[in-house]
Amino acid sequence: MKYSVPIGPQHPALKEPISLRMTLDGEVIQDADIRLGYNHRGVEKVAEGKTYLQNIYLTERICGICSHSHSTCFVQGVEKLLEVEPPRRGVFIRYLVSELERVHSHLLWLGVAAHEAGFDSLFMYVWRDRELIMDLLEMISGNRVHYAINTLGGVRRDLDEGQVKKILDSLALLRKQSEYYLNIGAHEPSFVGRLAGVGLLTKEQAVDLCAVGPTARASDVPIDVRKDDPYGMYGETPFEVCTADTCDVLGRTVVRIKEVLVSYDIIEHLMRNLPAGPVAIRTPRRPKPGEAVARYEAPRGENIHYIKSNGTDKPERLKVRAPTLGNYAATVEMLKSGFLADIPLIFAAIDPCICCAERTATLVDARTGEEKTVNFSTLRALARERWKNAPLKKDAVWPF
Amino acid sequence: MNDADVFERIRSLLGEKALELTHPAPRRIFLKVDPKDLTAAMAVLRKELGFTFVSTISGVDLGESFEILYHMANEVTNLNVRTQVPRSHPHVDSICSVIPGAILYEREIQEMFGLVVDNIPDGRRLLLSDDWPEGQYPMRKDWVHQRPEEKIPGGKS
Repeated sequence: MKYSVPIGPQHPALKEPISLRMTLDGEVIQDADIRLGYNHRGVEKVAEGKTYLQNIYLTERICGICSHSHSTCFVQGVEKLLEVEPPRRGVFIRYLVSELERVHSHLLWLGVAAHEAGFDSLFMYVWRDRELIMDLLEMISGNRVHYAINTLGGVRRDLDEGQVKKILDSLALLRKQSEYYLNIGAHEPSFVGRLAGVGLLTKEQAVDLCAVGPTARASDVPIDVRKDDPYGMYGETPFEVCTADTCDVLGRTVVRIKEVLVSYDIIEHLMRNLPAGPVAIRTPRRPKPGEAVARYEAPRGENIHYIKSNGTDKPERLKVRAPTLGNYAATVEMLKSGFLADIPLIFAAIDPCICCAERTATLVDARTGEEKTVNFSTLRALARERWKNAPLKKDAVWPF
Repeated sequence: MNDADVFERIRSLLGEKALELTHPAPRRIFLKVDPKDLTAAMAVLRKELGFTFVSTISGVDLGESFEILYHMANEVTNLNVRTQVPRSHPHVDSICSVIPGAILYEREIQEMFGLVVDNIPDGRRLLLSDDWPEGQYPMRKDWVHQRPEEKIPGGKS
């Protein structure tokens, strides 16, 4: 007997609410179908009617977690069109905010993953740590979410000595706490066992379906725009690309944890070598006709903006591809031959925004057509129930 | 191998098929091909140069024709393959047989620009709602958004 289970479509916290329709045989997912557009806001069309400066603030509002990644990607492209280089101090501050954003996004995600796996104490510890980063971001930019720090030709706010010291102090504390809590995760066999073997995506599938970011890197595809196509000061900053070869949710967890630690190193490098000078330069407002492709490694993967100018102060065309869209095709593969009860975990492994959504799934009995609505906490209870009898890799170990 | 080597390899591999080939900035290569050569060119680029990754597909409304850009990448450079199709006959071949991950982007340009992607494995709507009227393509330049008239039950008091 086969069931068809619609998941979604409403995820109010996501920038792209998603509807997945699962075909189930018993508890095993046979097929998953995807439908987007429930919160399509027509940003690309709106951008054609606004100036480049206004569009910085528009693109920042594409996402509520990685807001800085969109505005930075847009600014990178426009600066290429305007043929200006931001001053080095401005570049350092811009990518300092990028790395802080990556840390806060990954910690948020780790908390959500722990929560979905039923390990709520790790979730609360990690989110308490994340507040340190949020405080730093508020201190640097004045805002917790939409930092509004980018402008054409640099950044809008400077750092003083006290702020640099505060960042380094918080970083030392954060590094110590992160390592301690990660040890807790590593020594909790039920947590590792719950993640191992769930949501498999082989290396070949990840390449064929053009997966990006930690999802691809967890399948041993070492793509990272910061390394492959260095922008800003990443070409001269020492760091390594983190990968895992387990191809499952455990691998995605490990990759993100390693990246958090790498980001701490990058932030420390930036703060120790912060150059003196101005943070922004004046730029013209009308680029010559032309086109630019800007790429940026957002917390969830490659972000790409294509900007075409026509000589006026408004772009002819702005194309935005957020990393989550790049991972949807791979998500469908991950869900196939998984279990219904793993859906929350596999979902959470792709997109950290899921946490705020109280999601509703309607279970449709294929034989009688009877519908039963379950909420997200019931779905999670099902997940925990299944774990008790799970035939998964109970002997899995934390890989580092 | 760096981006200059890739540039030279593309020139020698594609030969006459490369209508325009430019290298305007580091790690940015722009290539123009005829729509009928598109899938063959993609297959060559994937096999010989490792361009397995499609970042996205952009459409641009040029008035009389549409430009379609395939933003691709390998580990050393970004490559933008462009092709143009006339507005009167907006047909382009699907590249999903070469790069399966392009499916969502092809579905997106179909409904946003009214392009027809031939041989697409799954051509259903992706983004626009099910009751969206036929023949309305929002990213075309001549399409203007009109907010539906507000209806207040009982009228304004």
